[in-house]
Amino acid sequence: MYSFFRIIRFALQDIGRNLGLSTMTVFILLLMLLSINTLWSMDVMTKEAVRLVKEQINISFYLTPAISDKSVSEIKSYLATFPEITQVDLLTRDQVLQSFKTRHQFSAEVLDALSELGGNPFGPTLVVKTKEPGDYRKIIQAVSVPEYDPLIEGKSFEGHEEALDRIQTITNRIERVGLGLSLLFALISFLIIFNTIRVAIFTQRAEISIKRLVGANNWFIRGPYLLESLIFTVVSVALTILIMYFATRYLDRYVSVVFPNGFSLTNYYSSHMLYLFGIQTVAVLLLTVFSSSLAMRRQLKV
Amino acid sequence: MIKLEGVSKFYSPTAPVLRDINLTIAPGEFVSVVGQSGAGKTTLVKLLIAEERPTKGQIAIGDWDITGIASSIIPYLRRQIGVIFQDFKLLPKKTVAENVAFALEVAGERSGRINQVVPQVLNIVGLNGKAGRYPSQLSGGEQQRVVIARSLVHRPKVIIADEPTGNLDSINTGEIIEILKKINEFGTTILLVTHNREVVNHLRRRVITLANGEIINDDAEGKYVL
Repeated sequence: MYSFFRIIRFALQDIGRNLGLSTMTVFILLLMLLSINTLWSMDVMTKEAVRLVKEQINISFYLTPAISDKSVSEIKSYLATFPEITQVDLLTRDQVLQSFKTRHQFSAEVLDALSELGGNPFGPTLVVKTKEPGDYRKIIQAVSVPEYDPLIEGKSFEGHEEALDRIQTITNRIERVGLGLSLLFALISFLIIFNTIRVAIFTQRAEISIKRLVGANNWFIRGPYLLESLIFTVVSVALTILIMYFATRYLDRYVSVVFPNGFSLTNYYSSHMLYLFGIQTVAVLLLTVFSSSLAMRRQLKV
Repeated sequence: MIKLEGVSKFYSPTAPVLRDINLTIAPGEFVSVVGQSGAGKTTLVKLLIAEERPTKGQIAIGDWDITGIASSIIPYLRRQIGVIFQDFKLLPKKTVAENVAFALEVAGERSGRINQVVPQVLNIVGLNGKAGRYPSQLSGGEQQRVVIARSLVHRPKVIIADEPTGNLDSINTGEIIEILKKINEFGTTILLVTHNREVVNHLRRRVITLANGEIINDDAEGKYVL
């Protein structure tokens, strides 16, 4: 018990008496954490933007005007069985007609032509949304069966196939670049933190040897350094949370312009705070403890 | 008390640093180990504090065979021996009192006892008024006194002094030797490693002379003969 309290006292004493080194260590940890969080925020915003783009995409199945309500329900139920599909909306014949009229309200020729035809020339429309743009091809194929083919007049996908493919390629590429950048940054952060802690321990190598020569056991020597690692980690994560709070609040006014759906970085960080900063605390702590243990190993052999 | 039997140390197979050392030091003795640079004096000290292991032979301190001592046990051995180094080896970020107290803290001594003993030991080495100073604020002689206080504080039965006066002027050298003599008078065994001729001749105690890793002379009341 005496040893435990002494280890705490030595750790606090070390931090206080090596204030320059302690500040520098916390500063570097803070910079790394801020960089990681900046990259994380960019990744979150990119994903949100990609999600928004994907959300805008849908395909429509234009059904024949003569189709019965039973057949419409049958096709709708059939589409709903696919796990790739997130939403199937039915536009009735009247709704399609109304939508057409609204769309062409300033085009007298089109409206005149519609009157010439008499009645409602449109069939109902099924609007389908899938999880990924790549899923549309599969749905189109699934619906192109002899049973349903005569009931479907057209598909909006036919004209947009190339555009959808391109969106899929771009979003895949963005996600891959984001992952690559995150991994690269994680590696850089790992190396910088690892070396910072090693340098901090290296500057105290003489002291470690002396403590060993005076009869201190390994835990009595390691303890204060491990505790210091914990303190540096907690302080740097706490400062990161504080800075990120003010930074996201400031940035949100610009983010809201880009994301009209109400996406906010502050809300994102608030709702993921435990997860995000928990992971960062554990990762930095493991890294600092691992680095300091490795750096001390040599000196402890005396 | 200290016994070495057929001890040899090789850092490389062709270059022995110590060769077939047989030595017994009785409790309460004051023994000087002399020899030129490279004679093996410091290696002998390193073997006694288990900083190095012998290549051959056996080493015992009291009833404790430390020849193949496990790393985890070394701290317990070092708490039984007081070691004084030529380069002091004080913790620079700790005060004089903290440096001395550290030797007791590592052994798990109670704080009350530490607060009682440290001022007493600092008084013995004449540093009572400088307990709150840092090593960098002390002269070489004062720093060596702190080292002696640290080596004394846990009342070891053996003190090993490796060139304790190597960095000191003649006045400080005399004072340090007088302190060591006093400690010896209270029954502590002293092993003094030195190449200071005046110190050895002044002491008129047992002198072991090393040359090329071998004991070439062992006189009960010897002189510096090299």
